[in-house]
Amino acid sequence: MKMNLKTELRKSWIIMIKEFRQIIRKKAFMIPMFMFPIIMIIFFGYGMGGTVKNADILIVNDDTGTASGSIIREIGSFIPRYGDPRMFSVTYTKDLSQNEAERKIDAGLYKAVLIIPSDYSERVAKNESVTLTLLTDSSDTTSSGLIINFMRQLFSGTTGSHVLLKIPDIYGKLQYIDFLTPAVIALTVFFGTIQTMGYAIAGERQDGTLVRIMMTPVSRGAIILGKTLHQLVLQLARAVVLILAAIVLFGVTMNGSWLLVALVLIIFTFGAVGLGMAISAVSEDMLSFQAISMLVAFPSMFATGVFYPLSSAPDWMRWIAYIVPLTYANDAMRTIMIKGQGLGSIAHDLIILIFFGIFYFALGVYLFRREA
Amino acid sequence: METIIEVRDLTKIFMARRVKITAVDHVSFEIYKGEIFGMIGPNGAGKSTIFAMLTTLVRPTGGSIKVAGLDVNRNAEKIREIIGVVPQQHSLYPDLTARENLELMGNLYDVPKKIMEERIKYYLGLVNLKTHADRLTGGFSGGMKQRLSVISAVIHDPEIIFWDEPTTGLDPQTRQAIWKLALKFNKEGKTLIFTTHYMDEADKLCNRVAIMNAGKLMALDNPDSLKKASNSTSLEEVFIHLTGEEIRD
Repeated sequence: MKMNLKTELRKSWIIMIKEFRQIIRKKAFMIPMFMFPIIMIIFFGYGMGGTVKNADILIVNDDTGTASGSIIREIGSFIPRYGDPRMFSVTYTKDLSQNEAERKIDAGLYKAVLIIPSDYSERVAKNESVTLTLLTDSSDTTSSGLIINFMRQLFSGTTGSHVLLKIPDIYGKLQYIDFLTPAVIALTVFFGTIQTMGYAIAGERQDGTLVRIMMTPVSRGAIILGKTLHQLVLQLARAVVLILAAIVLFGVTMNGSWLLVALVLIIFTFGAVGLGMAISAVSEDMLSFQAISMLVAFPSMFATGVFYPLSSAPDWMRWIAYIVPLTYANDAMRTIMIKGQGLGSIAHDLIILIFFGIFYFALGVYLFRREA
Repeated sequence: METIIEVRDLTKIFMARRVKITAVDHVSFEIYKGEIFGMIGPNGAGKSTIFAMLTTLVRPTGGSIKVAGLDVNRNAEKIREIIGVVPQQHSLYPDLTARENLELMGNLYDVPKKIMEERIKYYLGLVNLKTHADRLTGGFSGGMKQRLSVISAVIHDPEIIFWDEPTTGLDPQTRQAIWKLALKFNKEGKTLIFTTHYMDEADKLCNRVAIMNAGKLMALDNPDSLKKASNSTSLEEVFIHLTGEEIRD
């Protein structure tokens, strides 16, 4: 029995060494495996810091007196945490109606608008209650919540008078799930497309079926198109199921057009197909494909504001976000689903997504043809 | 005899880590219509590379290949319409049934639906897979996969069939069945091109055999003439005589 145990352990040791030898030789797998925890810590640590930085705020100061000056100064100079940048980047104006202010938020120009009434100083001087209007971009529930909290604390500390904050819900009562859902749909489409393209190309190459198809009178273009169309239909179907599930289960708001959602996802999927194809083409096998695709997908997931607003992320993370197409898909999806905006409001996102789509698709086709 | 494949001065050079490797070195030969043509050679002899070039998968570095009068560089898709390829790896979709695998290939070759249905029924019967027609091929044995792989390569009734190591790893019964199939296709007028490591297979089936070594064509003749020319009693002796006893990587 003792001998058997020793033999078993020795053989287990041999198997373990074999496993290590195999995995160490798969460099494409090893590097991302150790990179992931570091990447996750960096992105979550910085991204979910729980503060808002340099958020654009418009202060509509109709106050004829001077009492509002100290409040404005405090808003403009507030630093949430030692070493952080200022919480707000302030722009001032006068005589702007609430409707006009809402339109500016709709257009994504400001995260918040604070309207100070003309009799602010006068009422403060008389110790009378005064009402300020705070409009926030509640499609970004996290930033909006942080701004509202800050303003409430600020005005609760105002001496003497009783300052009330009126906070209208521009887009209805929104929760974190409303903020999360549009981006999770885009993320799911992105991940799903890349993964299934991996099986469709790297997987089929590994089991020999791709070569078999290439021996038939089917052009490389037809193979690519067939796989792309499959993805477009599959991912759109997944998105519809996800949106419906979110509406039914969590009461998520769908304020915009389903057609626009489809348009964004089609363009976005097109690029993701290209990226999946490019990764498949350069991967030796499925294991390498999974490792490389994760290396690409994880930063996209954490740097593009899926789980937390980009406004709370440090500058370097925002720079990463600008070069990742998921950022623009998230923005377009939130603009449509939460704000209920039309084509005009997502045009810039669409143009960038089309550019990324063409680039990734061309790269994918080139690498696929070269490897084929 | 009518030539169906003409190979002239064929060369293939690969770059592997900045090192030039001449996989096929100025090889010329013809394959005649209706014959069974075998390619044998040790590992690295270049037979798989020639196979890949003949089946339009790899472009030659130099020289020319004409299949049924069509140049492989210019008419790859047309050539693919008239050839059938049985790859070494079974290359079946495991999540599709036997019938669905055959339908897929038939559709890619534009076989009319009615004809395809008749052929599927006939071929499944021919290779004893009729009762497994609607089973997923992922659960098939190696022999079943090989039989299905063969018929999926002929579903479009090709003139030429390329067969890469058709019986490697198969039991004697399946080998016999595959040989019978090969002879049947040949009797129907199809040209068959084999690569194999089994000398008995080449001796038994092939009208002519090309012996390759280090990218060069060492000999090409019918098995009996090859044996006679080197005073050997078996094709294996001829093979060793021409390619040496050294083990190849």
